[in-house]
Amino acid sequence: MAAEEAPRLVVPVQRSVTLRQTVDYAMAEVLAADGEPTVHFVFMATWRGGDPGTDADRDRAEALLDQIRIWARYECEEAGVNPETIEIETALIGLESYLFSPDEYADLLTSYAADHDLDRVVVDPEYSLVGHTTLLQPLEFELERSKLAIEEAPVDRPTRRDRLVSRPNLPRFLALFGVSFLFYQILGGFSGTFDLVTGIATAAIVAITLDSVSFYRDPTLVDSPKRILRGVVYVPYLLYEIVVSNLVVARLILDPRLDIDPRLTKVRVFVGSGFPLTTLANSITLTPGTLTVTAEDQELYVHSLAPFAREGLFDGSLERWVRFVFYGREAARFPSPRERGDTEVLQEPSDAASTDADESGGEER
Amino acid sequence: MTFVETAILAGVTVADLLLVAAALFVSLAVMMLYRAILGPTNQDRVLAVNVLGTNTVVILALLGAALGEPWFLDIALVYALLNFLMSIAISKFTVERGGVI
Amino acid sequence: MIEAIRIGLIVVAVVLGLFFTFVSATGVIRLPDVFSRAHTASQADTLGAGFALAAVALTLGWEPTTVKTVLLLVFIFVTNPTAAHAIARAAYEEGIEPWTTGDERR
Repeated sequence: MAAEEAPRLVVPVQRSVTLRQTVDYAMAEVLAADGEPTVHFVFMATWRGGDPGTDADRDRAEALLDQIRIWARYECEEAGVNPETIEIETALIGLESYLFSPDEYADLLTSYAADHDLDRVVVDPEYSLVGHTTLLQPLEFELERSKLAIEEAPVDRPTRRDRLVSRPNLPRFLALFGVSFLFYQILGGFSGTFDLVTGIATAAIVAITLDSVSFYRDPTLVDSPKRILRGVVYVPYLLYEIVVSNLVVARLILDPRLDIDPRLTKVRVFVGSGFPLTTLANSITLTPGTLTVTAEDQELYVHSLAPFAREGLFDGSLERWVRFVFYGREAARFPSPRERGDTEVLQEPSDAASTDADESGGEER
Repeated sequence: MTFVETAILAGVTVADLLLVAAALFVSLAVMMLYRAILGPTNQDRVLAVNVLGTNTVVILALLGAALGEPWFLDIALVYALLNFLMSIAISKFTVERGGVI
Repeated sequence: MIEAIRIGLIVVAVVLGLFFTFVSATGVIRLPDVFSRAHTASQADTLGAGFALAAVALTLGWEPTTVKTVLLLVFIFVTNPTAAHAIARAAYEEGIEPWTTGDERR
């Protein structure tokens, strides 16, 4: 190992499910080396510094970089290495301009690496440039043109597949074909041969063009029907909950005193990302009194209208149901968020102590 | 005599009931204009228009049933899709600061 | 007899639908900020629409077009909370602070 030069890494970071593992991998690479290894974690800003309304974005980015510093220090301590011997830097870059295309990101990263004499890029496989599509491939492609060595951190993804777009396969195709064909027939009112033929053609076009982006995981003959069945059991329960708490909320709203006490709360849930998380977030929104505002990884920011709604949320019955629907009966035996300590109320009434509210208000951004 | 022409009470038919309900839904939808115009934030306006759209879907369905024009439901279906897309597109537009979808 | 029950159910569904939509409209007008307004917009309104569409389905009876009503119902139940979530998220990302007790009414 002594013959090799000490690694000088640059790691573009962003909030993602595999970020922690990427940081761990980069740290493991650095800690295993002799000499004076260096690792820079950089956050590439998608906004321009100083623009109105971007303070929240900047604060979030800074918070993420702080978190990464803590992780890095922790890894050093785990390995029994003095953190001072390794150069660990974090930086927020790209504030001078808006970044649009992958080559602009690549140029920024390349020039940063050149400025700090770094020669290797470690990328998080879930890293995406704009936040809604995985654009890692174009970024990697653009980086190939530079002298930097590129490598993807080896990570286990909880539920996501390698890429958003995957190779087409038969079960997915058939499932999508079946659903679209049925939908077409319902719209057409099951009326004869003409609809049958055009339906087959339409469903085939839909299935061929969209089957690579329509599913999170492949439908199977055993699991998918089971999940659908358990979903059918869930619906009446959900409807019951909706009606009951709607009546409570209706009373609150029609009450002339308008006796509400809204707060923003944060709950960490364990249902897996993707479709299960969407189901849970939508169920929470559908149950009156609670509204999912945003989701970060497995943390849901939920706005609640009244104390009874917060209690219900922290009891976690919906979370247990969603676990039941997607993973079966065993998974539903799970402690509630309150028992796990995964709950947090982010706001205080502002007449209680306005200074306190300001402090906690800073954290929620 | 079809079902919608069945009298409920004193000559009031099911169709009348649905038409009255549709009229009340219209007035509730008009109430939404208050928020859609006054705001104060853009999100309030989108929200109000979204509720108005849902009400429109319901009104279309009620009219379709009352007047015996089941194809109104097709329009309601398309309207529901558009209404949903409108909310998502505008929200997305404001979040991404100019990057649409 | 069956006819009477059916008419009764239609009347109940229409009245409940109107009631919940009224609650939703009141909420959107009365509540203090965009987050709490999104509550009633997504929930009471969804339920109101659900009852009204149930009335429509009952009126149409056992016909192919009724399936469309059911489809519409399912669709509204999926999209309404999603839209409310998107709107609330947009408000949150723009930095609008949720209202708490003690704040001024907006």
